[in-house]
Amino acid sequence: MDMAIDSAPNGDASPAAAPAAQAAPTSTARLAQLAESLKLEHQLVRVPLEHLKKTIRFDYRLAEREFTAVLSSVAEAADSLDSSSVDETLKQLSSLVTRLQGLKRKLEEGGKLENLQVQRCRARLEHLRSVADADKLDDWKDARLNRILVDYLLRMSYYDSAQKLAETGNIQELVDLDVFIEAKRVIESLRNKDVVPALIWCAENKARLKKSKSKLEFQLRLQEFIELVRANEHMKAIFYARRYLAPWAATNMKEMQRVVTTLAFRHNTECSVYKVLFEPTQWDYLVEQFKQEFCRLFGMTNEPLLNIYLQAGLTALKTPLCYKEACSKEDPLSQEGFRKLAEPLPFSKFHHSKLVCYISKKLMDHENPPLVLPNGHVYSTKALEEMAQQNDGKITCPRTGEVCNFNELVKAFIS
Amino acid sequence: MELDLIQDAFDRVSKKQKLSSSKTQQLVRQIEHEIEQAIMKMQSTENATSCPELKQILADLKNKLNEFSPMNQLETLQKDLNITLGKYVKVTEKSFNPDISKAYRNVDFDPHIVNQIIASHFYRQGLFDLGDCFISEANEPEAAALKTPFLEMYGILESMRRRNLELALNWASSHSEWLAQNGSNLELKLHQLQFVEILQNDSVQNALSYVRKHLAPNASAHKVEIPKLMGCLVWSGKLHKSPYADLLSPNHWEKLADEFMQQFCSCLGQSYQSPLSIAIAAGIHGLPTLLKLESVMAVKKQEWQAMKQLPVPIDLSKDFQFHSIFVCPVLREQGSDENPPMLMPCGHVLSKQSIVKLSKSSTRPFKCPYCPLEASVAQCRQLHF
Repeated sequence: MDMAIDSAPNGDASPAAAPAAQAAPTSTARLAQLAESLKLEHQLVRVPLEHLKKTIRFDYRLAEREFTAVLSSVAEAADSLDSSSVDETLKQLSSLVTRLQGLKRKLEEGGKLENLQVQRCRARLEHLRSVADADKLDDWKDARLNRILVDYLLRMSYYDSAQKLAETGNIQELVDLDVFIEAKRVIESLRNKDVVPALIWCAENKARLKKSKSKLEFQLRLQEFIELVRANEHMKAIFYARRYLAPWAATNMKEMQRVVTTLAFRHNTECSVYKVLFEPTQWDYLVEQFKQEFCRLFGMTNEPLLNIYLQAGLTALKTPLCYKEACSKEDPLSQEGFRKLAEPLPFSKFHHSKLVCYISKKLMDHENPPLVLPNGHVYSTKALEEMAQQNDGKITCPRTGEVCNFNELVKAFIS
Repeated sequence: MELDLIQDAFDRVSKKQKLSSSKTQQLVRQIEHEIEQAIMKMQSTENATSCPELKQILADLKNKLNEFSPMNQLETLQKDLNITLGKYVKVTEKSFNPDISKAYRNVDFDPHIVNQIIASHFYRQGLFDLGDCFISEANEPEAAALKTPFLEMYGILESMRRRNLELALNWASSHSEWLAQNGSNLELKLHQLQFVEILQNDSVQNALSYVRKHLAPNASAHKVEIPKLMGCLVWSGKLHKSPYADLLSPNHWEKLADEFMQQFCSCLGQSYQSPLSIAIAAGIHGLPTLLKLESVMAVKKQEWQAMKQLPVPIDLSKDFQFHSIFVCPVLREQGSDENPPMLMPCGHVLSKQSIVKLSKSSTRPFKCPYCPLEASVAQCRQLHF
């Protein structure tokens, strides 16, 4: 496989090409880089779409149900005219009209909601287009950082912070607060040891959960079973198992057996295999499972965007020099927290030298080549020229204090 | 990225959705209409017991409804809409990378550390309410301590915005030694700006005494600036017509505020830009390369998770270059303490190991790989970037 994903060398091989090409690649390179970064924004576009699809499905099923009911009611009325009176039939027909009027209202509301969601999808696409506006690019990038943070806050259930940040950053249309409100209800109820909203959610999304072979419903049922055992309601538990656990038995025999065995123990059992099933942490596990399913259904990434980008960024920035005392404070990896997070991550790789002047912090390349002092320390030409100018041709090494003359410096050729 | 293509596909979705929604509502009205008609017909039939007539009306209704079959129409609308939606989904999956978490490594980020980083970021941006709200929701009360230095900083910045330099001057004078050590003339710049303010809004006398009090003691260090300020005194009242008009520019306030922020953060041992924002920006830069790499290595999952160094470079712009990385052009290895860069007399630089290899016996001279000049090991000296 061709692994030639290489970076351009640091001012070496093509001196003729370098000066002329400097201006152009910076802007075309920037555009290319922006285009690449847009490709990462699948979640931005997919989530409101899934939300729209859900509303459309809901409205369709509503209409389908009502139509079916009305049509069969008419057929029934037509067939049973002999046995019922005219008045009864008229009443029945009138009630159908009322029903249809109710449906009309609901569909109008549904239509409005669909329109809002369509608008949201559109706003996201427009936002992606707006990256081409060079004047507002910094704002766009700030908005991106805020979007990433709001995604993290919502996934961690810090709803108030998410709301505040969305308002402060004026990115309400670009984040999925409304989608997570649905999740909030279920999560809060699970934290209160109530599986009912979660089960309702599973029923609402039955088809799609089945498609992804989700076991969430099964796990919720298992937990309810355990709660019955905890409350010593053994008969209830057995009936519950017959009704709700048995259908899952074929594919989840081991799991089911393990849980059903808790009947033989009490909730304060010391037997470790079964004790763990009674721990409150089981509820935390359910919350996590639900969050995962929820995010998957809406086309969100498995991990928070913050973690994904942070991991990538730390790897890209990580060099052995970052962990030294002399690490520049401008490097995020000079900070303790970032260092800790980056520990298990791989180091970045360089195929070509990239040198930074200790004095000016600028790149030492073709335009600004490195100069070597007699003591072996290296600084950029521009920085040293400036120093010599202000000090009668004398150079003082900022790191050792040794003094020499500008004309004692030697050029180094780094490729 | 073909945003136009995506836009077109979405416009079609939007059209179909509108059509489907309005047609469905139309169907409802049609059914309602038919039933209402039937009701009216039944009510207008004088002979209430005329069963065959009533039966006919209902049979007609039933047939009518079957004829224009709302169920089928509804189903067709939905099918159509689903097809258009499906096409749009396909377009997005093709244009975007559908799974950017593929390159994610199974390492756990300690949520406390992440929360601290986020809290610090909020405080650093001056979003104190948000920061407080966050640490209470995240249950990280100790993070409140991160607020203090930034509160001070924003307090000073706020007063500077209101053209009051007192707090800034206090800070600069209490940190004057540190500022001098770091080659910053912030204090001087603040005094200059204050001087111009006094000259504009107060009296020449006060401006003069200001210079005497604050700048004269250090006159030797400000050989260039003090005469300039004294020159301003001559044009007091018409400074905008003087050669020093640029001193009035509001730019100075902004630039000075930035410089103050830079020095303040530096003094705290922090970066000027939020480290979180730098790290995320680096991540956005680098993620496409990592994803490509992961897909190439997809089969060797274990290797991906366990690697200590990336096998390919990630091209970050110079904004993310914080360290000097030397890569020996011969062995293609990064420099380290054990294998430092060495300067040859010809000016070319190789790693120590390369030189040892080239010289074989370490006493005989060897030829530089880049030019005809020869050198011996003793003539090479170690470089410090």
